Amino acid sequence: MLRIRNLRSGYGSLEVIKGISLHVERGEIVALIGANGAGKSSLLASIVGLLPPWGGSIVLDGREIFGIPAWRCVSHGVVLVPEGRQLFPDLSVRDNLVVGGYRNKDRNLDIDQVLERFPRLRERSAQMAGTLSGGEQQMLAIARALVARPRLLLLDEPSMGLAPLIVKDVFAIIRGLRDLGTTVFLVEQNAVMALAAADRGYVLETGEVVMEGRGADLMTNPDVKCAYLGKASKEIWE
Amino acid sequence: MRVIDRDRETMRPDLREQVQLERLQALLVRLRRNVRRYRDQLGDARVESLGQLAQLPFTTPEDLVDAFPYGMFALPLREVVRLDSLVGPEGRQLVTGHTWNDLKLWGRLTARQLVAAGVTSNDVIQVCFGGGVFPQAFGYMLGAEVVEASVIPEDTLHVDYQLQVLQNYRTTTLITTPTNAADLMALLRSQRLDPQSLQLRTVLLTRPTSPEQRNELETGLFARVRCGFGVSEILDPGFCVECEEGRLHVNEDAFLVEVVDRELVVTTLCHEAMPLLRYRTRVAGAAERVKCDCGRTGLVLTPGERLDGCQRVDEIPLYEKQVEDVLRKTRAAGQPFLIAISEHHITVAIEVSEDFFGDQMRGLEQLRREIQSEVLSRLGIHAEVQYVAPGAARRG
Repeated sequence: MLRIRNLRSGYGSLEVIKGISLHVERGEIVALIGANGAGKSSLLASIVGLLPPWGGSIVLDGREIFGIPAWRCVSHGVVLVPEGRQLFPDLSVRDNLVVGGYRNKDRNLDIDQVLERFPRLRERSAQMAGTLSGGEQQMLAIARALVARPRLLLLDEPSMGLAPLIVKDVFAIIRGLRDLGTTVFLVEQNAVMALAAADRGYVLETGEVVMEGRGADLMTNPDVKCAYLGKASKEIWE
Repeated sequence: MRVIDRDRETMRPDLREQVQLERLQALLVRLRRNVRRYRDQLGDARVESLGQLAQLPFTTPEDLVDAFPYGMFALPLREVVRLDSLVGPEGRQLVTGHTWNDLKLWGRLTARQLVAAGVTSNDVIQVCFGGGVFPQAFGYMLGAEVVEASVIPEDTLHVDYQLQVLQNYRTTTLITTPTNAADLMALLRSQRLDPQSLQLRTVLLTRPTSPEQRNELETGLFARVRCGFGVSEILDPGFCVECEEGRLHVNEDAFLVEVVDRELVVTTLCHEAMPLLRYRTRVAGAAERVKCDCGRTGLVLTPGERLDGCQRVDEIPLYEKQVEDVLRKTRAAGQPFLIAISEHHITVAIEVSEDFFGDQMRGLEQLRREIQSEVLSRLGIHAEVQYVAPGAARRG
């Protein structure tokens, strides 16, 4: 569904995405894990056009979307749930969903379906988004994206700032998206949760992919264990 | 089609190219970071397409010898859970290492071969090579565990005993070498045993054999015969899968294969402990893209002969240099010699002059026994020793 080849991007003269290639197949949940500053969010920003890419190609269902502006990305079915949720705090839950579906003619129907899926949001549909708990806000951010009927949903650090128990709930929602047939590309620092939820994963280090594989295999990969799962620092045998 | 990893074994060409490029790029990053030898060779080299693979440096068996034991490892030794000692160029020692994930991958890739051969969880698999335990045997056992078949890892030199195990355990799949399979068939014939009285359905040979031998074994053992192929430094078994059509399909999600000057050159895309970039296998071969009726899309391989003088005696790899090294430790050191290879033994013809043995025939007999004993204990191979006149062991 999504094919990225040799994508390069950065800020000013600083290259932060150094020729990344990756793909996401229809119906898959794919996780991209990496430490702070590895370039995860910059990669998502480059895909959706928030950060102009320098080179390479981004193909969605056979169509080149490299460098298209962010607002056109949504019409191609690529929807981003940004880091830190970025809700409209002074709008109600329902109004946030309306904004999310601004291009969707059937948004009222879809909003009802989404609220059916997230009963906690239905209970709070008239409440201001800024007054929701962190977990509920993340739920709303995902729900807002679903109203836009994404073919490919990009999630940027969905667990950020959430309590461990709430993180579990959020990942249960993400796994549930598979049942809806939604394709998910997930960027996370929480490697354990992300790889457990994902079919496949990529490991990003300083702007380069160092490993690709099934989620379960990456969890037992020595490099991943060292970098993200709290194992002792590595020594190279020489 | 019998297949265990349909999404990988029948990958569309565009997806295969994408997966291979991604894995190659990630491999280059890992090699540059973790293996000094590659760091020096690669510098800042990057590839943006598989077409640029040819710009990357080769790895040779001699590189592995130079870096012996751990210089090619991309991870600290404590992450390595299996070390396989191999015979390298000129009989020198090589080592390959595997992490847990490497072993998991090995099992999975080997399972593809077993499933293609019709093995299921209902099967009883007997892994016996008839000449001691080869690293290959462990690979087959890993694969059998993935398929959840019952495995008998019994290996004995006595073909009589192998036959007893076949009968008593009602083995349905025999994994063995072509030499050992032929020995078993000969034993059945000599004992006038009907092969149909066995439960054997499949014989999986560790390496390709001639169509004639395959037919003979199929008749003699009354089972379908399938062949594997691998390169021990890369992966054997698990490198490729022989399909129902008799074609060897490379597991291209894990290996990138090129043919350079008739030689198979392989890049390991998924190995963690000891990944190899453009490894010159010293095996001749051809590779072609064929639309196969089995549905697999992996490159079809036709392996050929060894290009480095490595021969097989009783399935044990042998270089002439190894025999020379053994002779050097005896009184025959420095004498010209020739080796003739038979299926089960070698014949060493050593030039001797009158002044070498004088009138002491007993000394020659002693030397013969010494050489036989040394070749057997050091190389695991039976040797016959002949003395020939000066000049008779020179190559024409």
